[in-house]
Amino acid sequence: MIMSEKSKQHVDSCRFCWMCHHICPIGNATGQERNTARARALGISLVNREAIDLSEIMDNIYECCTCGACVHDCVTGWDPVMFTKETRLKAALEDKTPDYIKPLIANCLATGNAYGKTEICDRLAQSVKAHADKKDILLFLGADARFMACEQALKAIKVLEKAGVEFTVLEKEPASGVQLDFLIGAANETKAQMEECAEVLNKYKTVVLYDPNDAKAVKQLYKEYGVEVAANAVTYTSFLADLIKEGKLETKQSGRTVVFQDPYQLSRDLEETEEAREIVKAYAKLDEMLLNRAETVWAGNILMAQYMPEVIKLVAKRRIFNAKSVGANTIVTASVAEYVSLKAVAEEENSEIISIEDLILG
Amino acid sequence: MQYQMNEFLFAMILTELEDAVGKENCSTRAIDKVTHSVDYYWLSRMWADRGCRMPEADIVVCPNDAEEVSKVLKIANYYKLPVTTWGAGGGTQGGAIPVAGGILLDTKRMNKIYEVNTDGMYIECGTGAIYKHIEWAANEVGKATMHYPSSLTCSTVGGFLAHRGIGVVSTKYGKIDDMVLQMEVVLPNGDIINTSPAPKHAAGPDLNQIFIGSEGTLGIITKAQIRIFDQPEERRFRGFLFQDMTGAFKASRELLQKFKPSVMRLYDEAETVSLIKKIVGVERKGAFMNVAYEGAKEMVEVEEKILLDTFKKYGAEDLGSEYGEKWWKEKITFFYPGHMMDIPQCFGTMDTIAPYGKIEEIYWAMKEAIETNFPQAKFIAHFSHWYEWGAMVYDRFIVDGKDVPKDPVEALRLHQAIWTCGVRTALAHGGVVNDHHGVGIKLGRLMKEQYGPAMQVFEGLKKTLDPNGIMNPFKLGL
Repeated sequence: MIMSEKSKQHVDSCRFCWMCHHICPIGNATGQERNTARARALGISLVNREAIDLSEIMDNIYECCTCGACVHDCVTGWDPVMFTKETRLKAALEDKTPDYIKPLIANCLATGNAYGKTEICDRLAQSVKAHADKKDILLFLGADARFMACEQALKAIKVLEKAGVEFTVLEKEPASGVQLDFLIGAANETKAQMEECAEVLNKYKTVVLYDPNDAKAVKQLYKEYGVEVAANAVTYTSFLADLIKEGKLETKQSGRTVVFQDPYQLSRDLEETEEAREIVKAYAKLDEMLLNRAETVWAGNILMAQYMPEVIKLVAKRRIFNAKSVGANTIVTASVAEYVSLKAVAEEENSEIISIEDLILG
Repeated sequence: MQYQMNEFLFAMILTELEDAVGKENCSTRAIDKVTHSVDYYWLSRMWADRGCRMPEADIVVCPNDAEEVSKVLKIANYYKLPVTTWGAGGGTQGGAIPVAGGILLDTKRMNKIYEVNTDGMYIECGTGAIYKHIEWAANEVGKATMHYPSSLTCSTVGGFLAHRGIGVVSTKYGKIDDMVLQMEVVLPNGDIINTSPAPKHAAGPDLNQIFIGSEGTLGIITKAQIRIFDQPEERRFRGFLFQDMTGAFKASRELLQKFKPSVMRLYDEAETVSLIKKIVGVERKGAFMNVAYEGAKEMVEVEEKILLDTFKKYGAEDLGSEYGEKWWKEKITFFYPGHMMDIPQCFGTMDTIAPYGKIEEIYWAMKEAIETNFPQAKFIAHFSHWYEWGAMVYDRFIVDGKDVPKDPVEALRLHQAIWTCGVRTALAHGGVVNDHHGVGIKLGRLMKEQYGPAMQVFEGLKKTLDPNGIMNPFKLGL
């Protein structure tokens, strides 16, 4: 396998370093040694030295959620996410992608989303239709909300309606490219999706990115790929926080005490931690989990649940345990993916999961 | 009965293990075997760096609790399969490497925190818990474990217990063997036992201390009650520069008769001008010493006065608190790639311990032995865990990559020779095989040299508890 020199350097630094062992949400949930940055680096280093075949480590390469907890934790700046994604790309080029990943990639290329969906639910379609007219503001819902969490998408629209915002929702949204970036890294196909998406976004003055994953892509990854976004791209949470500040969204204390689950894309990648807290505090009493803000622990996503559902359940349960450790029974999310993941185990864990939209809409 | 493993029998054993721990927690995949074949031990790292595969387990199992561990050990005993226990792989002595193949038992699924007890001041947890996680659990109730080794984030509770680990505030709060109340242990025959409900008693020898440091050779510790402490009202630091180490030893011995600081770290001149200069920024010649003292504010005030008066008597220059605070902040930074020694260098930490009167002599003897016999090696040291009666030396040898043979077997020979020379010198001057990293496969051969006929006590325990010799073979000299 031919890797970039930069990735090789990071691999050879991480392969014998255990310092981020405690922080991996997958490793902590499964208890499997292979789910650590150093194990992944060791495997890749042995592939580079032809001591093991790439195909024998690929399952493990796809067990990484790329949340960047290890990158954030590393005081010397080594980046396991970088070499993990590069290995995914190399595997794709060498036709060594695991069989269960290939259909997800094919779906992304064919339909723009890993789930292979082409139709949104009827209620969402109606709601979208009501916002078909071109306005200055575009609400970009993202594939997870549109195809896998229709109720959340509806609520996202409803909150903006409640604030009297005039906005457009696209009947057919382009793929942001973030799913393909996760599955095969910096491939030409990924960049092509991003370019296509940017072209659409650039028709609007402001783009409100509902899904933190898309927000990370548009506000951060696009720059790394050399894709220009002229529109003012803002996260859904920062947009809502401004609406509250401007008095456009009515606030009312609900009397409940909650903790907030920071989506890593906002807190680590985009360094946005307080906007969501301002929203939550306008409606409830906010407590904090021990690992919060940039130290947040990823609580699962929908894409990985397609091929490792049991692990995603373990991840979500562990995060609920963190909340319960500080006596909190209600977790507020700002990410569709984490909402769905946590909700899937909430009943079993006797815990309540609500989204920021739920909190606002009451 | 001797027998040869065959495909059919292997498949049969695998199904039994899957039945014991669940199919998803039983693996023969290459990635799992490779991952558990390289730990922090330099030889395993060098071997992998040269593109060689270390000895691997045949099957990796991840039990959830003592009952599942018991089932695994019963199966292993029946088929006489080696069982090597793995915590998180942060060990430096090769103790967790499955050199004889067989079953690798990873403890990390046993990571539950069962109870945070602020009356009894302990946390009861599975030994697969990463120590940092129980520190977080303690912090959530305003307490702390006070066990802060550089491997805090990457080693399990069981790993520290297995090799008698230690943390940077040990001088005040103790070593891991001081941190435990009760333990649950699975014996090699599968029996699950509990040690005494309290560690201080006259109900015979202390069972805890038989298993702590046994490195998985006598059984598997599955649960432990780990002590927690109140967070100190105040923690203060003071850096000092002694003209030489002799003065520092005298001053420290006297200080420890008066009170126990939490941190005491004395660096030899070589380490003062290298590591300390790089990380802490001290650029002066001499022996740098960092002391922390903590607890109730009034006590800290008194302790500070005693410290300053005592060290002044021995000519120490007071460098103020800045260096110490910086060291505390950066104490783990030392161990990240880029700061720490790494391949292609050849290196090792030959920590040993002895009473005052011997420890400094050991340092000089080891330094001379290493630098004379291996002129390509650099020798640096610090003294970081102190008692009323003595101290430990954390001495390291470092050989530049250009002087390390490319051939892995030749590199292994060099590594072994340096270690044998260093540890034998320590033993000859009243030291021990190791202070807090354990023995593993690295130093097993030297255990008999330290203990002589006393080794039969360990061997007798081993024969009685593990008659088939399945538990972590070739480790600890057993």
